[in-house]
Amino acid sequence: MTCNVQNYVLLTNKIYTKRTQASNPERSRSLPSASSFRVVCAVEEQTSTSTSIALNRISMPLDMEISEEKKKKKSLGEVGGGKFGRYGGKYVPETLITCLAKLEAEFNLVLHDPDFQAELTMALRDYVGRETPLYFAKRLTNHYKDEYGEGPEIYIKREDLNHGGSHKMNNAIAQAMIAKRMGRTSVMASTGAGQHGVATAAACAKLSLKCTVFMGTTDMEKQSSNVLLMNLLGAEVKPVKGNFKDASSQAIREWVGSLETSYYLTGTVVGPHPCPSMVREFQSVIGKETRTQAMEKWGGKPDVLVACVGSGSNALGFFHEFVEDQDVRLIGVEAAGFGLDSGKHAATLARGEVGVYHGAMSYLLQDSEGQIQRPHSVGVGLEYPGVSPELSFLKDNGRAEFYTATDKEAIEAYERLCRLEGIFPALEAAHAFAYLEKLCPTLPNGTRVVVNCSGRGYKDAARVFDILGHPS
Amino acid sequence: MEGQAPLLRPDPLGRFGRFGGKFVPETLIYALSELESAFHSLAGDQDFQKELEGILRDYVGRESPLYFAERLTEHYRRPNGEGPHIYLKREDLNHTGAHKINNAVAQALLAKRLGKKRVIAETGAGQHGVATATVCARFGLQCVVYMGAQDMERQALNVFRMRLLGAEVRAVHSGTATLKDATSEAIRDWVTNVETTLYILGSVCGPHPYPMMVREFQAVIGRETRRQAMEKWGGKPDVLLACVGGGSNAMGLFHEFVDDRDVRMIGVEAAGLGLESGKHAATLTKGEVGVLHGAMSYLLQDEEGQIIEPHSISAGLDYPGVGPEHSFLKDIGSAEYYSITDEEALEAFKRLSRLEGIIPALETSHALAYLEELCPTLPNGAKVVINCSGRGDKDVQTAYTHLQM
Repeated sequence: MTCNVQNYVLLTNKIYTKRTQASNPERSRSLPSASSFRVVCAVEEQTSTSTSIALNRISMPLDMEISEEKKKKKSLGEVGGGKFGRYGGKYVPETLITCLAKLEAEFNLVLHDPDFQAELTMALRDYVGRETPLYFAKRLTNHYKDEYGEGPEIYIKREDLNHGGSHKMNNAIAQAMIAKRMGRTSVMASTGAGQHGVATAAACAKLSLKCTVFMGTTDMEKQSSNVLLMNLLGAEVKPVKGNFKDASSQAIREWVGSLETSYYLTGTVVGPHPCPSMVREFQSVIGKETRTQAMEKWGGKPDVLVACVGSGSNALGFFHEFVEDQDVRLIGVEAAGFGLDSGKHAATLARGEVGVYHGAMSYLLQDSEGQIQRPHSVGVGLEYPGVSPELSFLKDNGRAEFYTATDKEAIEAYERLCRLEGIFPALEAAHAFAYLEKLCPTLPNGTRVVVNCSGRGYKDAARVFDILGHPS
Repeated sequence: MEGQAPLLRPDPLGRFGRFGGKFVPETLIYALSELESAFHSLAGDQDFQKELEGILRDYVGRESPLYFAERLTEHYRRPNGEGPHIYLKREDLNHTGAHKINNAVAQALLAKRLGKKRVIAETGAGQHGVATATVCARFGLQCVVYMGAQDMERQALNVFRMRLLGAEVRAVHSGTATLKDATSEAIRDWVTNVETTLYILGSVCGPHPYPMMVREFQAVIGRETRRQAMEKWGGKPDVLLACVGGGSNAMGLFHEFVDDRDVRMIGVEAAGLGLESGKHAATLTKGEVGVLHGAMSYLLQDEEGQIIEPHSISAGLDYPGVGPEHSFLKDIGSAEYYSITDEEALEAFKRLSRLEGIIPALETSHALAYLEELCPTLPNGAKVVINCSGRGDKDVQTAYTHLQM
């Protein structure tokens, strides 16, 4: 079959060595029965947003430089269908399959669209304020020096300086741009602590998209200032009885009812494929910048990366660039709340079991009957009973290490960073800083540690104020 | 005017025309001269400049972007499709959320160079206090912040923040127990402890060399803007717009362009409840010349020369004086000054949030509000740069109460 390639966008030029499974008997009849064949697919540029059914079934992320990407995917565990080893996948009702496939196709298009990338780069620079600095924390470094004056060097990746005050905006602005590109007029999102809701509301305001954020009533009470921010930014905040998991379920329910006009903007690296991969891709700017900055600053790579883990977006965004670098240690820190044995924590990777939640297979906090447990942390953004499937995979294959920090340790770390560096970390990020207490004494002199300060905690002073009971 | 040498701003005595100067007790004269020499020598010191640049980049997060506000530009487009192009200089993205830190880090670095171990500051709502406490934490300097007891009550959370940062917050009960009283107390402390202490002034006010120093430290805003404007449209801004309380963010933006005759500079003060109400902070519009906090400048005073308590919904503009250099620029007609009411500022606050997803500080909102009057008068394609001097997270509660959302 020949066609005029000028007005077409080349989507894939892959050589398949395995027969692709297709549930459509029509299609399987039309494929050659040989064990290897080249598939070349292209769609007309104007209709790029409505992909053919054949494409819907090819769920592998597309790549132009085949060998490099393929190699990367192998070590990342991605083999297609958004699986990371046994984790990930698309455990969703049939109604959503087409939608997710469309989203994936659009995502793959934008990845290779130079115009989109240029526009995103400009938005990240002028609107979000990237690149964020890699800051040498001199006083924190001195704090961890031993009696011989030896210890690691601590650097902080300043995601707290982003517009909106956290890394969430990296993803929100990119996806809002995709929504616009797909011709959607409204955006729906669900939020727990409110950071993602605020970031989404801001991005929608900028791109003149109608924005509806679903939030659990218990969260709305705790995060009333974030609710105000969202209202101010022109978003409608819809209360849902319960907390984040109830809010996301409701959000998806309403989204299914208006799939043609609305876009569901996921905030983190959980959910059905392609959501985790998409969000990770947009957050990976954190790690990419870190690599360049580390090279500039000390002519090498970081030795250790430390990030807090709620559902995992800031950690993955930070780690992703370095997963192939075996000489870079990856450390995620979850919330131990009142202690791992108290039952009031959010340490999914430490204490969870494998199950399916929100469309993906992953570790999650569930009781013996498979009921989702209510997580707790002083860092509200870490209160998620599940975790990224990709991080679950990295834990299982030993590539990344995961530890925990209690509420108390996080608050101490919050105070420490304020006092020593004049930086208020978000209470979520404070968990990563808390782990330095255990980590630093074990590191050789001069080890370079980079901590992802995923958000600012100026607002969290109120929470700390309440908990500490107004000290002088 | 061609061929005339540019006027010295300031002259060796620290005067901008008839404004500025050093109206201080004798005990402070030496400290001020010492500070001035240190400042001049460090201006030429490569190590100091490099260190400061590194801190501004890695700690503060500079350079701040020059952001094209597409929807705001569209909002001001006339029915025939013409209108100015609106850009925002994003000082709101700085660490601590405002331009104040540019000056605070530089002065803290200066204190270290001078061997001073102690820093003092005054604060109204707490913004400058928090910025000062922040840099003192970063540099390991002892920090004392003077705050009016009334303000401390209203801003309990900011007091807590300063304490978390390791600063000591001292309550001032004299007078009306607000900013101007805190300033006087801070000056008294400085007189007593001048050997060991640097007084970090937050704005382009006070005795020489402060107006000049703070301006120089804030001038990075204008320098970056010039370069970014050249990159973005191959030219200069046509209009610069900034809010004016003490005047530091405005001077920071304007200074680079003061000698560019083709760049219009507009400062916007707080008209509070209206200029006729007597409850405002529009010093350059309604003030008279006098001496306050060591400098000659316009200030809000009654017939007996007593300072009038200013009012503005935004704490940062709530100052009865103004920087002497602004008084000078107004008098010689180099810059224009207008004022905006609380209500107009709140409208602008809401407008930018809705149109660009950027929540501006209520102070900044005054500058943004002036666009309503300005834009219809500007030719097509005129490039307007507004100094988005701070973010408005701190003002959301206030705005909510007033806007009854």
